[in-house]
Amino acid sequence: NIIIIVIKRFAVIAKSQSITPESCEVRVYNEEVELEDRDPQQDYMLYKDTCADLAKLMAEIQELKSSGAKSVEIEERHRQCSVHFITLKKLNRLAHMRLKKGRDQTHEAKQRVDVLHLQLQNLLYEVMHLQKEISKCLEFKSQHEEIELVSEEEFFQEAPAEISRPHVTRDDNHQLTLARLDWELEQRKRLAEQYKMSLARKEKIQKAIEQKREYLSSLQPGLQNIMQASLPVQEYLSMPFEQMQKQAEVARHLPPPLYVLLVQAAAYGQACDKTLSVNISGDVDEAKALSRRPEDSQEDESDSDAEEEQQNTKRRRATVGVQLEDKRKAMLRRHPLSLCVDLKCKDGSVLHLFFYYLMNLNILTVKTKVSTATDLSGAVSAGELLNSESLLNCLYASDHGKETPNPANRYQFDKVGITTFADYVSDLGHPYVWVQKLGGLQFSSDGAQNVIFALSASHMEKTMKLLRGRLQARLALHKQFSSLEHSIIPVSSECQHLFPAKVVSGLTRWTMMSYQEFTHVLKAGLVCETDLFFMAVVERGTARLLAAVVLNPRYPEVMPLFSLSLHWKGERSGRTEDNLRAMESEVNVFRAELQGPRPGLQLLTNQIQRLCVCLDVYLETESQVCDGSEGPREFPREKMCLRTARGPSRLKPFKYNHPQGFFSHR
Amino acid sequence: MGPVELLHMSVFSQSFSPCGRFLAAGNNYGEIAVFSLSAALSPDASEASQKPILNFTAHDGPVFSLLSTDTHLLSAGNGEISAWSWAETSLEIPEINAMIINPKDNSLIVGGGDNNIHIMDMETGIFKSVLKGHTDYIHCLCFKEREEEILSGGEDGAVRIWGHTEIPLSHFQTCSGMASQECARPQFGKWISCLATDSDWMLCGGGPSLSLWHLRSMSPTSVFPLPGCQREAVFYQDLIMSVGEGPHVSHCLHGGTVKAQIPCTPSSLNTLALNLKNSEHRVMTVGGSSHQIDVFTNFSYRAFSLSF
Repeated sequence: NIIIIVIKRFAVIAKSQSITPESCEVRVYNEEVELEDRDPQQDYMLYKDTCADLAKLMAEIQELKSSGAKSVEIEERHRQCSVHFITLKKLNRLAHMRLKKGRDQTHEAKQRVDVLHLQLQNLLYEVMHLQKEISKCLEFKSQHEEIELVSEEEFFQEAPAEISRPHVTRDDNHQLTLARLDWELEQRKRLAEQYKMSLARKEKIQKAIEQKREYLSSLQPGLQNIMQASLPVQEYLSMPFEQMQKQAEVARHLPPPLYVLLVQAAAYGQACDKTLSVNISGDVDEAKALSRRPEDSQEDESDSDAEEEQQNTKRRRATVGVQLEDKRKAMLRRHPLSLCVDLKCKDGSVLHLFFYYLMNLNILTVKTKVSTATDLSGAVSAGELLNSESLLNCLYASDHGKETPNPANRYQFDKVGITTFADYVSDLGHPYVWVQKLGGLQFSSDGAQNVIFALSASHMEKTMKLLRGRLQARLALHKQFSSLEHSIIPVSSECQHLFPAKVVSGLTRWTMMSYQEFTHVLKAGLVCETDLFFMAVVERGTARLLAAVVLNPRYPEVMPLFSLSLHWKGERSGRTEDNLRAMESEVNVFRAELQGPRPGLQLLTNQIQRLCVCLDVYLETESQVCDGSEGPREFPREKMCLRTARGPSRLKPFKYNHPQGFFSHR
Repeated sequence: MGPVELLHMSVFSQSFSPCGRFLAAGNNYGEIAVFSLSAALSPDASEASQKPILNFTAHDGPVFSLLSTDTHLLSAGNGEISAWSWAETSLEIPEINAMIINPKDNSLIVGGGDNNIHIMDMETGIFKSVLKGHTDYIHCLCFKEREEEILSGGEDGAVRIWGHTEIPLSHFQTCSGMASQECARPQFGKWISCLATDSDWMLCGGGPSLSLWHLRSMSPTSVFPLPGCQREAVFYQDLIMSVGEGPHVSHCLHGGTVKAQIPCTPSSLNTLALNLKNSEHRVMTVGGSSHQIDVFTNFSYRAFSLSF
């Protein structure tokens, strides 16, 4: 190495001295150049040999050392070893140099490969980019393709020559498309013009319409004045056209049952009964709203319900009861329109009937009011007679009007928790069966409900007669009661023949009674809660006859019943004594005699008068039984009787014979 | 018949048919109803079988007495007697309170409102004789079979015994003489409304208390302490049964004690009848101030009621 280094230094110095190679005959030893000449295999063999020699020499040295030979041989050998070492060193150097050379070469090649690789990548990237661009270009859609163009034939037919330029466009697609687009533009411009013109025309026409409308509305007040002026003329000629028209106009909004009722009642009034009149009352607008837009109104309802509920929740928690209450109210809602039928009687009193329609329940109800010509007062016991709640009770037998006649309502009621309809009757009116029939509503058990005109017509006459009869009967009773309370029995002249001229027993008291008191007196079966109960007291001398009277709402079709008990020398009643029982039968049974002239309104008063006559007979003939041992008779015999006792039960002669004037047995 | 009429109906008379299977009852409206006892007493009787099988208006006035012969039902209205054939109804002659039959000479004895007793021959229909003597109308009649004597009781309070002549054999007043303190009840009156005889014994009652008389001595042996006025009384085996005012039938013993008082529906009773001819339908029926007639199968209690 030292040698090489020296040599290399020499080389460098040589170079730096810039000695030209020819001028200087210095031999430059470049080991690297030598390397190219040598063969690695040979070097390897030389290495092996050298190592083997070295090993051999070492062994010899060893021998010599051990055998204790002279140092010259050893030194010889040492020198040889050193030479060998130097060889080895050179070889090592060469090996290193070869390695380095190989490495450098590899590195260079690698670098070249890298560069190329990089170029390849760049090119590939560019290729990709270009491909993308190409595909984008290929996908590009021009806006012009979205415009619907007229077809080519049409285009060529319609477009003017400047635009279509057929000589160019027939060949060139691009030009063709351009031309077509031009044409499209032209057309559109033209159509826009037309549109503007049409708009302007429309405006004009609109204005004209407005003007005409104003003109018409200005006419309206004039027409009204004419109508007003014609009213007196209509009345004078009794052709209430306007009224009828108005009514017909409103009638269109009536629900079907009320409409049927209106038509039938008006027809009946015109044809048979001039004193009957029908009117419609109520809120027409609400009815119109109901009929016109039922969905909207329902939405409104639900909105308002929702609002209400919201409000409730704001104020306080909406209880289940409140919601249920609202549902009930909704179910029991009345139609805003109602009918008012007036029945006038001869004496000037009027029976007003107000008919309402409950929409969800599909039934009609009625409320009544009586207006009388004279002021009815003074009869305390008559308080119930004209009470509007009970006036029309049992117009037909057992039609109490407390429950709804529509069987479907039962299910509706269950949903909202209404147990009986009777609670709401005083508010909503009574749903009598005859009212449903008048409205053409028939509820059969299978639920078929149609509004039937014929049903209404067939019931109208009879019902109106019954209504009128009911009113008259009640008014007559009213008058009779006020005189009964003054202890006067009003017997009309037509009925005088039923009674003798002189009647000594007199009515001293006439009062109302309640149902509970009555049940003790008479066995049930003939009496029910809806009847009216009264107590009459007839007196003569020391004898007092108490009569409990039950009056059916259908008086005078149904006779009032009397139940007697006599307080005179003890207490006897119709239950225990045969003669009192006979008196009861005398008063209760003989309707044909007692009812008097039609329509039989004298029935009650005749019964009371007969009761007094019978008491007279009883007391006068009874005194005879107890003979004179008791002293003078309290009631002297004044009535003429043929016999005082007859038959196994020894009945007294209660029957009065006119005109002979004597009493006999039946 | 409406409910009011039913309320004021009284049954005055009853009579069983000759075969004993039917009951005829007369009421104050002049109607006679015929009930079928065999239907009513059968084990599968229903409400319908307690209704009359036949119901007709016999007279204008009340039917106070009914009598059955072998073939006919005789009913009496106001002064007229009708005979109805049990086989079919028919209308013949025309206030008759009591009728009895004298089977020996086939005559009908009628007592009524004219204070007299009329005797009619059944075959010819001619009135044979008239027995006068009562001063007021006759309530009841009964017949003593052995001696063929007629007893009559009337409103005047006298009981008269008639033989074959038109003169009463004897008569006595229950309300005078020795009998007065025992029987008489002045608060009610003196009228006799029921009579029954069992050869030597006689029952009579009405205004005076019901009393049992020994006919030969003409004196009362026992007086029955019944509160109301009795309208009909019968001898049955060793009992005396009577009905009248008050809603019960009284069973009495000859000794004068009231054994039992059986309640019944009408508030007072007018007529009592025993069906002794037919052993199958041995019943007692009573009727009175009601439209129902009570039927007693066992005389101790009311079984059911027939109704008009």
